[in-house]
Amino acid sequence: MTVLRIDKLRTTLRLGGRDCDALREVSFSVAEGETLAIVGESGCGKSMLAMSIMGLLPAVARISEGRVILGSRAIEAEPESRMEKIRGAEIGMIFQEPMTALNPVFTVGSQIAEPLRDHLGLSKSEARKTAIELMERVRIPAAASRFESYPHEFSGGMRQRVVIALAIACRPKLLIADEPTTALDVTVQRQILDLLDTLQEQGEMGMLLITHNLAIVAGHADRVVVMYGGDVVETATVRDLFRAPGHPYARALLASLPRVDRDLSELASIPGRVPPLAMLPDGCRFIDRCPHAMDICNRMPPTVELGEGQGHTVRCWLHVEGGEHAADG
Amino acid sequence: MTHSTEVKRADRKAYKPGRIAIIIGATIIAVVLLAAILAPWIAPHDPYVQSMLARFRPPSAEYWLGTDRFGRDTFSRILYGLRITLWTAAASTALAMVGGTAIGILSGYCGGRVDRWLSAANDLLMSFPQMVAGIIIVALLGPGVTNLIIAIAITAFPAFYRMARSAALALRDRDYIDACRVLGYSDTRIVARHILPETMDDMIIIATLWLATAVRTESSLAFIGLGAPPPAATLGGLVREGFDNLLDYPGLAIWPSLAILVVMIGLNLMGDGLRDANDPRASA
Repeated sequence: MTVLRIDKLRTTLRLGGRDCDALREVSFSVAEGETLAIVGESGCGKSMLAMSIMGLLPAVARISEGRVILGSRAIEAEPESRMEKIRGAEIGMIFQEPMTALNPVFTVGSQIAEPLRDHLGLSKSEARKTAIELMERVRIPAAASRFESYPHEFSGGMRQRVVIALAIACRPKLLIADEPTTALDVTVQRQILDLLDTLQEQGEMGMLLITHNLAIVAGHADRVVVMYGGDVVETATVRDLFRAPGHPYARALLASLPRVDRDLSELASIPGRVPPLAMLPDGCRFIDRCPHAMDICNRMPPTVELGEGQGHTVRCWLHVEGGEHAADG
Repeated sequence: MTHSTEVKRADRKAYKPGRIAIIIGATIIAVVLLAAILAPWIAPHDPYVQSMLARFRPPSAEYWLGTDRFGRDTFSRILYGLRITLWTAAASTALAMVGGTAIGILSGYCGGRVDRWLSAANDLLMSFPQMVAGIIIVALLGPGVTNLIIAIAITAFPAFYRMARSAALALRDRDYIDACRVLGYSDTRIVARHILPETMDDMIIIATLWLATAVRTESSLAFIGLGAPPPAATLGGLVREGFDNLLDYPGLAIWPSLAILVVMIGLNLMGDGLRDANDPRASA
């Protein structure tokens, strides 16, 4: 069953009196129990995408086209009062920075209990009991005695566990994890990701894992959406992406990973940088950095399906007309 | 080990002045408050009964601080004056605190146009010197204790508004407030549960400091004849009455002035002490 479907989503920012598309024709879906990774470098629209789904866009941004369908309901145009009931209850979210995501003046327990009381209407004692269960589920040791602790008494990894407990408190259908481990030590990263995997299996949540870390994608995602400059350039299963990336950007991204079986003296990188939002080209947005750029790339490329029914799609002119140019990469 | 004990000792040292000030201030205020509350029982004379035979008596065993030109006991009148003065100050400060905090948080939290208009209105209010604003408002509303309370509350409003606004403005952009939005809390809930409680410490400290200012404003307004109408005894009113016979009987103006002084010292000590005790930099 599909938990979330994004259909031709366009999010527009008004900058200096001009409309710029921060997201263009973004489409993908997340199934129950599936982890979909969104990969891309800074400024590719990953966080803008998360905020579009949550209905928490800044005042200068708006969804100008397309749909966000949660379960079977379109939520992109829901009024704020309805979104307040959806956020935290049906969609949970985890942030990058666990050190500042908790209110320093309230106990950890009372903060975990708050969404339970707000969304599920539990009584104070029920909420307390459920909060302690949640703390146990995210494997906070001695949960009952740490209920009264304050956030500053917790380490970064423990705080991220609290943030996760908050996000899953109301058993959401969808969990958005925006760079959930970027601020953590590598050893703790692993623990947190494993925890997320376990929780997801238990709750059959769909998970949207936003990251720039390909190692995390390989280890914890089922499918991947590669984004560049606000476009979805490639959608594939993790296996397909790592074996046969189709888009020049995805290829370059994978080629820049250091590999144990190759010479490490030279780290590959992609020349150039992401153009600023106001200067993004109208056609393919990778055009200035792409080794295969052609005249036709000044037009928006279509989405092309690779293989048969594997859901591997690429948005690139190289693959149009049977993909005769695709091989020379 | 040595390091931690040193830190502890330094902490205690830095903390002490604030605490002593709070204790002295609170003691003074407690005594004054008790005197005001118990006035009907402890006042040796009725503050309003005149006696032509007992005019301008010097301090004595019967009239502790002497009598005024109508033969009323000055000490009793000061006790009763404390009642009106303290009540006026407390009520107006409470009113200003509630109003200023509510509108200040609204302004800071909403931001944008709401904030611009409210801040502009507040700046306009602040541009009047406090006394001038007080005089204008009393003149507009007319005399009487209730109107006096409203007038003083309006003059004290900007202090609370500004503090609450800046606190809300700073808190609004914290990550954990964003996290609240992501958890689907309504604005009302965010303000009531996560912003208001964090501003309360500051607001209570300002309130203590502004109590002293309110006492002063009340006394000043009473002194220029805009306080509670006679024969009511207020501290400022007593100074004013005493002022008429200042050269012959200076005590009539000096005793109530001293009472005002004591009240203000008590409130200021307590307010400053609370502020120091609450200032994270003071213990660094």
